[in-house]
Amino acid sequence: MGANGCGKSTFLRICAGLLSPDSGEVVVDGELGFCPQDGGTYDFLLPEEHFALVGAGRGLDRARSRRLGRTGAATLHWDPAGGVQARHLSGGTRQKLNLVMATLGDPDVLLLDEPYQGFDRGTYVDFWQHVWRWRDEGRAIVVVTHLLNQLDQVDQVLDLTPGTREAVA
Amino acid sequence: MRILTVAEMALREISRRRGVLVLLLTLPLVCYLVRHDQVGQSIRFVMLGLAWAVSTAALFASGTSRHVEPRLRLSGYRSHHLYLGRLVAMWVLGLAVAAPFYTLIAVDRGGDVRLGALAAAMALAVTVAAPLGLLIGALVPRELEGTLILLVTISLQMMIDPADYLTRLTPFWSSREIGTYAIDHTGTEYLVRGLTHGIVVTLLATALVAVLSAIRLRTRPHLRYAPR
Repeated sequence: MGANGCGKSTFLRICAGLLSPDSGEVVVDGELGFCPQDGGTYDFLLPEEHFALVGAGRGLDRARSRRLGRTGAATLHWDPAGGVQARHLSGGTRQKLNLVMATLGDPDVLLLDEPYQGFDRGTYVDFWQHVWRWRDEGRAIVVVTHLLNQLDQVDQVLDLTPGTREAVA
Repeated sequence: MRILTVAEMALREISRRRGVLVLLLTLPLVCYLVRHDQVGQSIRFVMLGLAWAVSTAALFASGTSRHVEPRLRLSGYRSHHLYLGRLVAMWVLGLAVAAPFYTLIAVDRGGDVRLGALAAAMALAVTVAAPLGLLIGALVPRELEGTLILLVTISLQMMIDPADYLTRLTPFWSSREIGTYAIDHTGTEYLVRGLTHGIVVTLLATALVAVLSAIRLRTRPHLRYAPR
């Protein structure tokens, strides 16, 4: 967590290996799933085509990718069927697509950059319940946030605000 | 398999941009009609219009993918899956755009030109244009700059004196040479030179795209995966 511009997204991109840090290393145990803050989808593709695209990268066949995508979407109260291109999805629904893509194939480590933007209240609450379920299943989840009301329900908080860089267990 | 999936999705995406498809066909058509009174010029211009259209499509395909590719890389794709998939898609698109123009010229000018060589010249224009557009997209991240670079390239190709040795350094010289063989019924040296030039430019552009893509999408050395 931290204030705007303090480097939360940069930190996550370093964890994902997309940016180099000044020093240090990141050790990942298992497969990575990454949900960027924005720009992670193709405007003219359907949600199910996004599932097929990500699934192929993870070595899943198309039918399984779509099934997993639909299941993930259903947990966020979203039905991706219907042939709506990503550009026509609302901001919140597009973010659900973004999140489902990141979790497709059950990666061991999830890096989520403010993944709940645009979610309604119910979906937001459900999202955190999913985070806790994923954690209980043995996955590591890093969530970038600037919202303070969930901090008592995570295992570790890293505050990147200048002058307060410390980890709180 | 991953390359084909990327190619399929790139084709699906561009096929839904109906305005783009219309413009892709309009550009070579306008080039053809503007010089319709001259057999040679009209055919050379249609090939240039085709090359321009395909390289522009490739440039924009590269731009729309730039923000998605890092997550695809983390989803299991290697960089060559991504650029080769897009390259295949642009080649398929280019050949689909070229086919009606080949038919048009065959019907309109069939008696005046070597049709086999014309097909080779058009195919080579597409073959070179796709990696060239991807290369410009890889070199400059913003589409406006990329479009202007492409405009300069095509304008140079149009305006440069064909007798000038520098014309050999332009990317679509190959189509011009084979076009000359097809239109003016010259010797096979034009065909050989054109094919050689087109293959070299295609390989060079693809190699540069590969290098730039590998650098941009590389896994940084600070990240390592624990043994399982």
